Amino acid sequence: MSGFQNQEISQVIDINRKKCKGCDSCKAFCPANAIDGKYGTVHRIDPQKCVFCGQCLVNCPFGAPTDIIDPVDQIIEKLKNKQLTVVAAIAPAVRVAIGEEFGMEPGSLVTEKLYGAMKEAGFKVFDINFAADQTIMEEGSELLAKIRHYALGEPAEHPLGPLPQFTSCCPAWVRYVELNYPQIIPNLSSAKSPMMMAGSLAKTYGAKEIWNVKPENMYVVGVMPCTAKKFECSRPEFDSAGTYWEKQGYTGKYPDVDSNLTTRDLARLFKKLDINFNMVYDYQDSDNPLAQYSGAGTIFANTGGVMEAALRTAYFIITGTELDNLNFTPVRGLQGIKEADVTMTDKVTGKTVTLKVAVAHGIKENAVPLIEQVIAGTSPYHFIEVMNCPGGCVNGGGQPINAMGTSWVDKWKAILPWN
Amino acid sequence: MASYDYVEKAIKVSRREFLQVVGVAGAVLWTGAYVATDLVQDRTKYIKLRAKGIYQDDVKAKVRQSHNNVALNKMYQTFAQKPLSPLSEELFHTRYVDRTKLG
Amino acid sequence: MNNQGEQRVLKHRLSSRLFHWGLVLGFLPAAITGFIIWLKPGSEDFVNLAMRAHIASATLLTIAVIIYSITTMDRVVAFIRQISEWTQHDLKWMMVGGGYAHKIILKKEIPVPPMDKLNSGQKSMGIFMFHGGIFLLFSGWILYAFIMVVPKTFVYWIDFGHLWIGLFLGVCTFAHIGLGIYNWADFKAMFGDGTMTLVEATHHNPLWVEHKIEPTKKTTETIIAN
Repeated sequence: MSGFQNQEISQVIDINRKKCKGCDSCKAFCPANAIDGKYGTVHRIDPQKCVFCGQCLVNCPFGAPTDIIDPVDQIIEKLKNKQLTVVAAIAPAVRVAIGEEFGMEPGSLVTEKLYGAMKEAGFKVFDINFAADQTIMEEGSELLAKIRHYALGEPAEHPLGPLPQFTSCCPAWVRYVELNYPQIIPNLSSAKSPMMMAGSLAKTYGAKEIWNVKPENMYVVGVMPCTAKKFECSRPEFDSAGTYWEKQGYTGKYPDVDSNLTTRDLARLFKKLDINFNMVYDYQDSDNPLAQYSGAGTIFANTGGVMEAALRTAYFIITGTELDNLNFTPVRGLQGIKEADVTMTDKVTGKTVTLKVAVAHGIKENAVPLIEQVIAGTSPYHFIEVMNCPGGCVNGGGQPINAMGTSWVDKWKAILPWN
Repeated sequence: MASYDYVEKAIKVSRREFLQVVGVAGAVLWTGAYVATDLVQDRTKYIKLRAKGIYQDDVKAKVRQSHNNVALNKMYQTFAQKPLSPLSEELFHTRYVDRTKLG
Repeated sequence: MNNQGEQRVLKHRLSSRLFHWGLVLGFLPAAITGFIIWLKPGSEDFVNLAMRAHIASATLLTIAVIIYSITTMDRVVAFIRQISEWTQHDLKWMMVGGGYAHKIILKKEIPVPPMDKLNSGQKSMGIFMFHGGIFLLFSGWILYAFIMVVPKTFVYWIDFGHLWIGLFLGVCTFAHIGLGIYNWADFKAMFGDGTMTLVEATHHNPLWVEHKIEPTKKTTETIIAN
């Protein structure tokens, strides 16, 4: 099979032949045209094109696409192993959706309950919102270095990638670019996704300073609203923690993130462990530095959230003052492409710079036009946030399936499923 | 042309009957249309509710900007020094793969 | 008065016969292709072809239904009235199965209560086809043209209903075809010029002959002249 590195998982979603009716709903939501099968016939996913986003799964009326990677039993075994420190790296979007698997309304914010349930199950908590804040610092600094060079004309300290910069936290988006538009790879931020930063931080700083354990005795589990993350953590280049310790003289090869649970998987894990989520005691975990996060970190779950978080920090770093209104509404909401201009006065040089940003969610309809602009050299933007899933990670392929819902947030989409 | 000697008598529908049927049919169709448009408009409500929950988490947070995360700043001070430092590059940055060239 | 001097009655008007053809060319292929789509035997191209044929014949059926309903509303009214009128005769008829089992299997003719234009079995078929058919048309179009618009759980149950009501009506249709051929006079009428002899009509539909038919103008004139 082409398009895969060694050791990478090559399939996450498979279509159940008995349930598929060939209605073509999944094809309408697939960003990568990865589904084969004529109208009325049983469909198949082509793993060489699939980006593992799971949108087919959450939108199929018949539940035919299935997540074939089920790590729940394996993780329960790891939790039982007293030699291991099992760390759950929890994504922002999980805390407003996990309740739905236990009868709560969508959007119920249950962070403390979630922490409590994780504690009862035996996990240590690493809130990815912390890593999201970290992503802002890393990716934001990268962006500002480019702005200072390209927009303000200052000399660059290190070799810089080109503008516009695209976000790189969404693994489906990254794989999509790697498969279909490799020419814009230099535009992708070099920053890892928050989950992968969390993995490498957990097994270095976390091992040393927070939990006081050996990294080879750690098992990091991402808890994600996302099915593509199951692929992402299998990417062979993500073994930075092991490489770091090797340089210090220790041996051991292990991935930064060992395994991944979707929000749905986590609910099943709780049920298997007889943890009644509704009755769990709240747990603040306030002594845990890796569970501390800012509001900017938590909004990564929404489309426009990464952009808004980045702007809050970029504005401060350039101007030296905080934004008056931290609610940057032009980048919020379900519109396919959102744009904003932010004019700032550089505190160092006194020059004015206008940052032009764009936010896209849904690759096929909204990101591709922006990519084409970049390739043609006509993109007006400095920074573009792309999320594969319509609405952002809150509507990810790993989230609880909403029976009355749809990922169709745009006005116009072909109604007739003609093939 | 067929030849026949008898035909069925003509069907008569009274005005009252007609209005009754049309009235009921109209009520059914109107209610159906109302329910249908309601359902269709609410289909993305779950996404909006989840997003709202996230923005609530943002508003009630003590700190609302990433650069003001105290624990994060401590991590940089004691471990990675600063964003884009050599250690940060090593642990928190990555390279991508042109998969069209992968066999 | 035909060649043999037998009197004939018009049982099925041209519009009704044309609509029946619409059902034969629309509903029947849809039922058969629907069955194929359900089981998905054979190659992808075969099933896809069945699906495309299903949609084409369903479209034909929809058009036939719309045209018939609008242009000959009196026949629709007549039909609905017939299938809604159930009397003691109908209940007794159902109990003996119209005498068909006796005739076909036991080769014995038994007395059967008098029937109107539709016998009780045909009335049941009419109820199933009318309500089931409307459901199939609405649900079919939703599943084809509006699947992206309708919430997932509705699509699931509408598809479930479309399948099982479709299968049930398919089975009814095959029974109907068999019995229709068995009733050769009616078969000739529906696929021919719409007429049968008064004797044949009186045998099967005595109540209809007695209360619901009248002589044509020509016949009346002939009677008066004579």
